Amino acid sequence: MHAVRQVSIVLAALLLGGCGLSIPTDPDGTLDHVRTEGVLRAGASPRAGWVDLDGGDPGGREPELVTRFADDLGAEVEWTVAGEEELVRMLDEGEIDVAVGGFTEDNAWVDEVGLTRAYTSTHVMMVPMGENALQSELERWLDAHGGGA
Amino acid sequence: MSTPGEPGAPGEPGEPGEPGEPSGGSRHRFGHVELPAPQARALRRAKRLEVVTIAYMLTCVAVVFATAGSSQAMKTAWVEDSLALVPPIAFLVAVRAGRRRPTADHPYGFHRSTGIGHLTAAVALLAVGLLLIEDSATSLLRAEHPPIGTVHLLGHTFWAGWLMVAAMVYTGIGPIVLGRMKLPLAEELHDKVLFADADMQKADWMTAAGTIAGVVGIGIGWWWADSGAALLISLSIVRDGWRNLHYASTALMDQRARTYDDEHPHPLTREVDVALGRLPWVRDSRSRVRDQGHVFHVEAFVRSATGRPPSLEQLEEAVDVLRGLDWKVHDVVVMPVRDLPDTIPDPQPASDRRSG
Repeated sequence: MHAVRQVSIVLAALLLGGCGLSIPTDPDGTLDHVRTEGVLRAGASPRAGWVDLDGGDPGGREPELVTRFADDLGAEVEWTVAGEEELVRMLDEGEIDVAVGGFTEDNAWVDEVGLTRAYTSTHVMMVPMGENALQSELERWLDAHGGGA
Repeated sequence: MSTPGEPGAPGEPGEPGEPGEPSGGSRHRFGHVELPAPQARALRRAKRLEVVTIAYMLTCVAVVFATAGSSQAMKTAWVEDSLALVPPIAFLVAVRAGRRRPTADHPYGFHRSTGIGHLTAAVALLAVGLLLIEDSATSLLRAEHPPIGTVHLLGHTFWAGWLMVAAMVYTGIGPIVLGRMKLPLAEELHDKVLFADADMQKADWMTAAGTIAGVVGIGIGWWWADSGAALLISLSIVRDGWRNLHYASTALMDQRARTYDDEHPHPLTREVDVALGRLPWVRDSRSRVRDQGHVFHVEAFVRSATGRPPSLEQLEEAVDVLRGLDWKVHDVVVMPVRDLPDTIPDPQPASDRRSG
């Protein structure tokens, strides 16, 4: 029972100490950076009906969602257009914060990047692996604004 | 001179059970050892508890699987919960198999089924533990950051980590209770599979607590807490597996009988010679006592005080005395000899051997 008490003390300390921080927190602080620096670095890869690249910044359903999400965080979007594999690499190395491209929850990158909960019946966005505050924030936002199928 | 204690021999001296208990058709026996009342009760209770354990662990496996997400610690806890099904199943199978009476092909009965169950459980634990160590060490070294997002449940959206914590609280409580209930039964029945099961379950709360710490760690941004916790859990699985492998294999190699928890040589291994020494015609004796699983097999070599061979009555009395020591002393051979066999080492270095 001694050990039980020790564990409870540690847990209590974690929870009380945690009052100053929120759960979940990003290990690399991505969400905080977006808020403090006012920039959301987003990647897009073309996909008919979801991400359109007719000159200028990416448009279409998903880029619009990303832009509105950034607005609500008080940030501007800085776009990078690249292929899917390149976007995954950039997420992995922390060069972008979110990627869209009509990805579905069945995509092959599930071990490399974090995927949001599907916000339509199947569509997801990519975030850096384990940046759980950003991921949770985006999921909640998509719940409210992502719209149905 | 040998009697593998036949059933129904009434009025065994010192037997704690009711001697008049009918022998035919009772389901509470190991081979042809009719269990005394306290052991029969313990066996009934143990079987019930193991069925409860299996049902409960199945719900745990389902709950943890449903909530595990991408947490390494949760995945490890899930495997451990699935493995926790092995000992209760091994126990139920072994008790069932061990109940059978000896046959022409199996003159010693089927008591060893317990040992096989024990060994199987140990190997499963060890193998899976090693796999999990590799798994969690790899994710720790590769600095994998486990992604845990939100979950939408019953109209609320919240961080999925809390769901994992709730699942681990659920899976953590049952084993402590079940393990503590099973420990005394393991002693009563001298059942090592049951003991291994109870002992592992008693320690299971540490798995739950470790997993919770790992998940809360992820929550506050310590990505390493998760695979760190998973690594500790896998180490504890390997430790369990190694210990049980050691005990199961030494028992199968006819190590002298040990207590149900394998802590000490079983006191009966000494009491056998002490009891024989109290017989007036016995000068001294040397015995081998091995654990067949639940019951003991005793071979006693006896030197008579006069140097003359004892009578059949005296030998029968000696067998009865030994079988009266404990219900576990079951298959007894008493062999009169001119000299104590020097192939059997003295179990007790000098001193208190001749207390009678």
